[in-house]
Amino acid sequence: MPTSVMHDYVSEMRPALHLLEDWAYPDEINHTLFQAYMKTSHDVGGEPDAPAKFEEKQEEEWELNTFVTCEVLAWKGIWTSEERRRLGNVDVGRTQYNGLPYYGRWALAVARLLIDKHHITLGELIDRVAEVHKRRASGGAQPRSTGDGKGVTRNRHHIEAVGKGDPQCFAGMAGEPRFAVGDSVRIRTLPTFFYTRTQEYVRGAPGTVARVSYETLAPEDEAFNREDLRPEWYYIVRFKMTDLWDGYSGLPNDTLQAEFSERWLEPVG
Amino acid sequence: MAKTDQHDGAHAPVVEEVTDFEVLEIALRELAIEHGLFTAEDHRRYTQFAEQMGPAPAARLVAKAWLDPAFKELALQDAIAASREVGIDWINGPPTGFGTPSDFTALHVLEDTPTLHHVVCCSLCSCYPRPVLGNSPEWYRTPNYRRRLVRWPRQVLGEFGLYLPEDVEIRVEDSNSKHRFLVLPVRPDGTGGWNEDQLAEIVTRDCLIGVALPKPGVTSNAVRAVHPAVRPAARLVRGSP
Repeated sequence: MPTSVMHDYVSEMRPALHLLEDWAYPDEINHTLFQAYMKTSHDVGGEPDAPAKFEEKQEEEWELNTFVTCEVLAWKGIWTSEERRRLGNVDVGRTQYNGLPYYGRWALAVARLLIDKHHITLGELIDRVAEVHKRRASGGAQPRSTGDGKGVTRNRHHIEAVGKGDPQCFAGMAGEPRFAVGDSVRIRTLPTFFYTRTQEYVRGAPGTVARVSYETLAPEDEAFNREDLRPEWYYIVRFKMTDLWDGYSGLPNDTLQAEFSERWLEPVG
Repeated sequence: MAKTDQHDGAHAPVVEEVTDFEVLEIALRELAIEHGLFTAEDHRRYTQFAEQMGPAPAARLVAKAWLDPAFKELALQDAIAASREVGIDWINGPPTGFGTPSDFTALHVLEDTPTLHHVVCCSLCSCYPRPVLGNSPEWYRTPNYRRRLVRWPRQVLGEFGLYLPEDVEIRVEDSNSKHRFLVLPVRPDGTGGWNEDQLAEIVTRDCLIGVALPKPGVTSNAVRAVHPAVRPAARLVRGSP
């Protein structure tokens, strides 16, 4: 069998230095360390990692059910998928983000959503989980009733997007785009808290606008269901890999593209 | 000491009868239905829709684009309209009437040339054009692929068996917002005179993500280990896509 860094105890051993004093004093957290704590757990691009075995996976029944539940909750206006991503990919913290299965985090996101938005209480969830455990989940889901959906608080989006799509439903709401294809821009180095879709590895990097994409809410707003706020223009920006990574090991012409809301771009030159 | 056996699906440790995830999923679905957030029928309808998604429409789209310059232009300018021509009404289609919520309704086709190769990832989660490509493969969702592709694309492609020469620019598309992406590879040599069905057969899911190139005679993804499910989704038991 060829050498692999996966599934081998020696390869997985790491030196670790644990702080016995786990009560940080304010003067012990400098800016760099603070930024590291604030980095959103889903933002993994460029983190050092060794080659791994790329595998396929057969889908579990509960995984398909979880995926469908999440999509139906969006269809029925209980959340947007940006709220789902925040709840399941960032709010969970690093340990759960890296430790739990992919759809396990989707299921936890549903639980947090229903409790946070007061559709259910935590007590109800605890009781129901205990009860389903007891009947060993036999027979699948057995709802005791079908609730009257009329009084349920729902978002505007699931109505306003019908027949238009998303982001098309936001068209015409952001005014004139500030940038055009070919413009030289730089990704702003803004602080991040709680949610963003502007990866750390592009912040501060120069690039060129490759496409003026569409108008929609900024992820920092949409992830918190702020559909009352003003949409922004989005742009696909092209970067030279050598502008993103010190010592880029590919070839000098290699490039990367990603898409950002207008607030993240500033003009260059 | 190697611990491969513990992780190897074929020698998986005995799993308790019901996992915590199965219990949680059922509990949440019951509560959502009882509280009127959605109905069991809504869930059933979406499941039926999700079960038929697969990579066939995207493969068809590429084959058509190879054969018909006008269609290719449409695919590059308005990929959502081009999807309709291969049977996917991404926006108005059932069940929502506004698309599949997690995929949004903006699609962009990335055209490869002899000196430009695109490869797609989502470094923040697993954004993927499900309506035309089905559900994403497990490796696409791993932190490993997402961490490394944006920084070491040539090495990662090499691990997929794809070695690109020095005169080919690699362009990584980090699918981090509402656009979804498909790669339109260069039509390979040896396919002269082929019809749309023949061409569509060699456009595999891996080619559409950009980790492989289409080749005459190759009609499936590279063979990789498959982590088996304990209780697989019904569609897998039935053998549909």
